[in-house]
Amino acid sequence: MTASRLVSQGVRAMRRYKLRTAFMMLGSLVGVAAISFVMSVGQSAKVKMLRTVRQMIGDQSLVVVGRGSRMMGGAHAGAARLTIDDIAAVASAVPEVEAWDPSAELRTSVRFGDASTTARVIGASERFERVWGRGVSAGETFDASAVASSARVALIGETVARELFGSQDPLGSELLIGGVPVRVIGLLERYGIDLHGMDRDNEIVVPISTLMRRLANMDAITTAKLIVRDASTQDATERDVRRVLRERHGLSVDQQNDFSIISSIEVQQMMGTVQRALLVYLPLAGGIVLLVGGVVAATLMLGAVNERTGEIGLRRAVGAQPRDIRDQFLFETTLIIVTGASIGVVLGYFGAQWAGNRMRLDVGFSWVAVAVGLLAAALTGLAAGVAPARRAARLQPAEALR
Amino acid sequence: MIDLSNISKQYAGVAGSPAVHALTDLSLRIERGEFVAITGTSGSGKSTLLNILGLLDAPTSGRYLFDGQDVSGLSVAESARFRNRRVGFVFQSFHLLARTSALENVELPLLYSDRASIDGLGQRALEAVGLADRMSHTPSQLSGGQQQRVAIARALVNEPDFLLADEPTGNLDAQSAEEIMTIFRSLNDAGRTVILVTHDPNMARFAQRIVRLDRGRVVSPAPALQEAR
Repeated sequence: MTASRLVSQGVRAMRRYKLRTAFMMLGSLVGVAAISFVMSVGQSAKVKMLRTVRQMIGDQSLVVVGRGSRMMGGAHAGAARLTIDDIAAVASAVPEVEAWDPSAELRTSVRFGDASTTARVIGASERFERVWGRGVSAGETFDASAVASSARVALIGETVARELFGSQDPLGSELLIGGVPVRVIGLLERYGIDLHGMDRDNEIVVPISTLMRRLANMDAITTAKLIVRDASTQDATERDVRRVLRERHGLSVDQQNDFSIISSIEVQQMMGTVQRALLVYLPLAGGIVLLVGGVVAATLMLGAVNERTGEIGLRRAVGAQPRDIRDQFLFETTLIIVTGASIGVVLGYFGAQWAGNRMRLDVGFSWVAVAVGLLAAALTGLAAGVAPARRAARLQPAEALR
Repeated sequence: MIDLSNISKQYAGVAGSPAVHALTDLSLRIERGEFVAITGTSGSGKSTLLNILGLLDAPTSGRYLFDGQDVSGLSVAESARFRNRRVGFVFQSFHLLARTSALENVELPLLYSDRASIDGLGQRALEAVGLADRMSHTPSQLSGGQQQRVAIARALVNEPDFLLADEPTGNLDAQSAEEIMTIFRSLNDAGRTVILVTHDPNMARFAQRIVRLDRGRVVSPAPALQEAR
């Protein structure tokens, strides 16, 4: 039988036994959809995570988080306060700390004229740009004297600028943050949406003293980021920082830390674990689904050979060679599984786009995922088809026709 | 055309029971253009004989000459080619592929032939059995008689040397059976060799010659008479 006849016979058989075909497709469909989904989303999630982590933590830094801050899941009763003085003491006691920036924040309404919006207002030091790696795209940042004098100056993000000023140039204008007039001196560099889906351009940065004294009444900061001079000794530096903070907080040996330290090295290790889980275990799970699907398909196809004994006998009677019968069932099994896989690829693609939208990821189309998925499915199909094809080819025509 | 001499067929007995002698020392000649009915009760060996004639099964001993060539020792692949080119099978239960159009059913033997082009052959065969207007119908949309006509068209499509029909009217009502036999009759009139296996004397009467089997042997006409022909 020629190849084209084999193909058309296979397609007809799929149509003839729709329900069985559907069940046989299921495994490869789900398995390959999972593989292509994960490979598409995983790749862009990885890129985005790395970028965000680099922006937040950087390569060599420690982030000290006070207990009682929002980042640790809400205030604890009796939580110790993390103060600017704590961090300043750390910086002077640990020479490995190259630069540091304290930060506190507040979510409040901001107004300009009739326009108003709600934004995240962050208090920072003059070392904000150096420590967080985010500068201004227009205007200028504030300096140490502005921090010392609690100056009413602000750097605003793009979203805030658009909400309040529209197409107007915001530089030099005074906006009201919770009723306090503050002058816009700079436009923050564009950041985009972070991993939590938060719009990081809907932010205003003011001197930390301004935030703590003028905009709110705070005496503790939420976090501080410390840049470490030498990444190779970062673990030792982290121990030093912890020791100094424990001394300042008067913690005895049996008391737990009332702060936490997030190290960029730990974060990177954690990211590696997450990535491995995403890019290795999920496709592996997809592969197992595919395997199970292959076993199911083989079983269904063996049943089909029994059910179609008469057809096989007839084909033999009208001149089919045993190898024609073998090829027919092998091809039919493979065709069904690969068709299921193709649908899976399409579903995986749309699923990845949908998930990408929700996670605000730019999900591309992974040709590698398609190739891997279809190849795996084709191999599964061939493997699943071997036993049914052999059984079909071995039937004796006279017996099959009975 | 067909020359069987001293054909025997035994089936191994199941679990120690004695072997079954389906055919014993059977000799039979069939010439081109004949319409032969092979009759006998069930168990007389007529189905075994049909399988051997159609190379669906090999005899235990004996010789099968087709146009002077010994075909009893053909390989599996050669037998398949023989069936494809020389034999047109018609079965009691039609053996049409379900949910498949009449035309595609008829074209099935062509798929396994080495013909370069199969265009129009299926249509012609269906026209020959009077089903030109039913080509795209599936078996479930056809009556029993029409289904058997599709099967006859399938048997004819590859221009075989002989038709081998196994109780072709067994699943049909009297009127359809009559129609089918009339088709065989007219095919034979047009020069086609037809071998009909049936237990039904009413169908056998359409044939020119009746070979009666009993317990694996030809009982009528007497083998001696046959030799004399």
